[in-house]
Amino acid sequence: MSDPSAATTPSGAAGARRPLVRLEHVDKHFGALHVLRDVDLTVAEGEVVVVIGPSGSGKSTLCRTINRLETIDSGRITIAGEDLPQEGKALAKLRADVGMVFQSFNLFAHKTVRENVTLGPVKARGVSAEQARKRADELLERVGVANQADKYPAQLSGGQQQRVAIARALAMDPKVMLFDEPTSALDPEMINEVLDVMTGLAKSGMTMIVVTHEMGFARRAADRVVFMADGQIVEDAEPETFFTAPKHERAKDFLSKILTH
Amino acid sequence: MRKTRSAAFAATVTALLTLTACGGDDASTGAEGEVAQPEVDTSATFEAGTTMAEVQEAGTVTIGTKFDQPGFGLADLEGTPAGFDVEVAEYVAAQMGVSPEDIEWVEAPSARREDLIANGDVDMVVATYTINDKRKERITFAGPYYVAGQQIMVNADNTTITGPEDLAANPDVKICSVTGSTPAENIRQYLASPDQLVTFEVYDDCVSAMQNGQVQALTTDNVILTGYVAENEGEFKLVGEQFTEEPYGIGIEKGNTAFCEFINESLTEMAESGAYEEAWTATAGQYEGTEVPELPELDPCA
Amino acid sequence: MDPVLENLGLFASGFLRSLGIAAWGLLGSLVWGTVLAVFRISPVPVLRAFGTFYVTWLRNTPLAIVLFTMAFGIPAVGINASYYVFGVVGLVLYTSAFVCEAVRSGVATVPTGQAEAARSIGLTFSQTLGLIVLPQALRAVVPPVGNVLIAMIKNSAVVGALGVGGDLFSVYNRLTSAQGYAALPVLTGVAIGFLVMTLTASALLALFERRAAVAR
Repeated sequence: MSDPSAATTPSGAAGARRPLVRLEHVDKHFGALHVLRDVDLTVAEGEVVVVIGPSGSGKSTLCRTINRLETIDSGRITIAGEDLPQEGKALAKLRADVGMVFQSFNLFAHKTVRENVTLGPVKARGVSAEQARKRADELLERVGVANQADKYPAQLSGGQQQRVAIARALAMDPKVMLFDEPTSALDPEMINEVLDVMTGLAKSGMTMIVVTHEMGFARRAADRVVFMADGQIVEDAEPETFFTAPKHERAKDFLSKILTH
Repeated sequence: MRKTRSAAFAATVTALLTLTACGGDDASTGAEGEVAQPEVDTSATFEAGTTMAEVQEAGTVTIGTKFDQPGFGLADLEGTPAGFDVEVAEYVAAQMGVSPEDIEWVEAPSARREDLIANGDVDMVVATYTINDKRKERITFAGPYYVAGQQIMVNADNTTITGPEDLAANPDVKICSVTGSTPAENIRQYLASPDQLVTFEVYDDCVSAMQNGQVQALTTDNVILTGYVAENEGEFKLVGEQFTEEPYGIGIEKGNTAFCEFINESLTEMAESGAYEEAWTATAGQYEGTEVPELPELDPCA
Repeated sequence: MDPVLENLGLFASGFLRSLGIAAWGLLGSLVWGTVLAVFRISPVPVLRAFGTFYVTWLRNTPLAIVLFTMAFGIPAVGINASYYVFGVVGLVLYTSAFVCEAVRSGVATVPTGQAEAARSIGLTFSQTLGLIVLPQALRAVVPPVGNVLIAMIKNSAVVGALGVGGDLFSVYNRLTSAQGYAALPVLTGVAIGFLVMTLTASALLALFERRAAVAR
């Protein structure tokens, strides 16, 4: 049995690091539905946190509140100590520092792969076109789609598109990367090519918050696993502890369902 | 329209029955307002096949006139027009045995007058209708029964425009008239650019445009302008001399010489009997600054 | 068709005048209509409310009343301009409400994920619209906006009646009432003039639609 305090305190090396993303008492409703209930979560610099939970547990919404794609009703969210700004230029600036990868890729359909990656640096950061292009080609090389740079997103497979989406986010040199079920829309044979890129990213020291159902990735790459149910964080532990000895009934139930088939 | 026609027909039948019952009582059917009713000639005989015979037979006549022109043809809320044109038309109708209440009035805006006649929708048009050669290609004119002249009306405090010659020298001045009217065409030669001319469908809009400063002058026949000067006391004035001659004719079906000659005879009678002067005095003549006209020399019916 | 052939010069000048009214109306409605559409989808509540109010009001007011208000109402409160300006502005105010709704419906065809992705890489609201959403909406926007603009070309005939003059439709009045030509051939000539404009617009639109379809 592990230390009971492990559920709320980040453990190991990550605990010593500076907190980068902090959610305090966050509440959100969709109409009558209470999707986030008094959520507290701290993610330290360089930490990889995997958020799991049954569908409808609020994990995607949680992810989206961190760059304010969803607003919150009450509570506080800070990134590197700064409160999330209201809608406007300051928010745009903050979003540039928070990379996001979506379930449905959301590549800009009317732009080529390379343009997808250079657009942010050029338009939001003011990087020169030439420099952005150079960096884009490096990133596309890194995610393994360099040879597709001049194609349009629709001409790529789902796995390739998602890797481009990761390159697009990385091009902004983000402080933290948010992944909202990045492999859920992929055919099974393409899941690994995306997870490999994400694992490499985690090893390189990127701060990551990953909403996923990929337990293998959680075991392999996560520093912590956060389990959500009914809009609440019910368990927060190191992967090994969580998968071998979950404490909460809901977590046990969830794990038994996904691990036994 | 259909309803009006059948109503008019019913009225005609009633009138005829009354007349027969009364056994040739030719007294006029009662005065209406201050304008004396023309004496209805029930005894006239016309050659078969002529328009006059047809009208007499039907007991009704359809006449087009303006509904928006003070002094000449201005309709009341029920759509019954009054004015000098109306008086002239009623006099001619009476010579064919049709009393004023049996006339069916049709509004004849400038743009539709030839078509109304050419399509046979009306028997005649008496509507401040200037005789010109272009129009004679499609219709025939009887008359003229009056000669108007184009003039310019400006705001009472205007000192820049004293006549048409001042327009070209003041290109900022806008002058208003009715779309497609003879005065609108006539004024063009006095303008520095076509943009100086503003046109609306009716003169009332021109008056509004003058009142709110969009245009500085209005041009059309003097008699129409006198109406506006009188109606809007102290606001407007006429400037300069009449710079055109606009002989008003009565438009009828092209080539109907017999009808034309009949109308001309009626006009002569109207003048000789004093009804012409009486009609003028009771209508357009009420406006300040107008003189009782003489019946102009009639054109031959070709 | 003699009345038309005898007065070709008059028809030509009327055609050009009407073309000018339609061209300014087209430009103005596209710009103002797009701005209104942006208002209606913007994150600023005041702009959204203004956009909704404007569209509801102007779209449900007859064009003739908008134009009469411009020609007689605005000068009555002491604002004077040429009737040409009043006419074009009235036409733009009216048409832009329809352009706005056509643009907005086109924007709705672009998946929300596109805007979210754009915002998530730090693009501002206007960059998101200008670089990502509107270019992709274009294909869906062209046909309905095109229909609105063709209707506007026809509506431009009404503008001429309100003091503007010199337009294609006023040629009808000049020829029939001042010069006594028969209405039917003259009206046919006027109708042909408008057909030339609307058919050309339709052809350009079809071309543009094809190119918008290819460009993605």
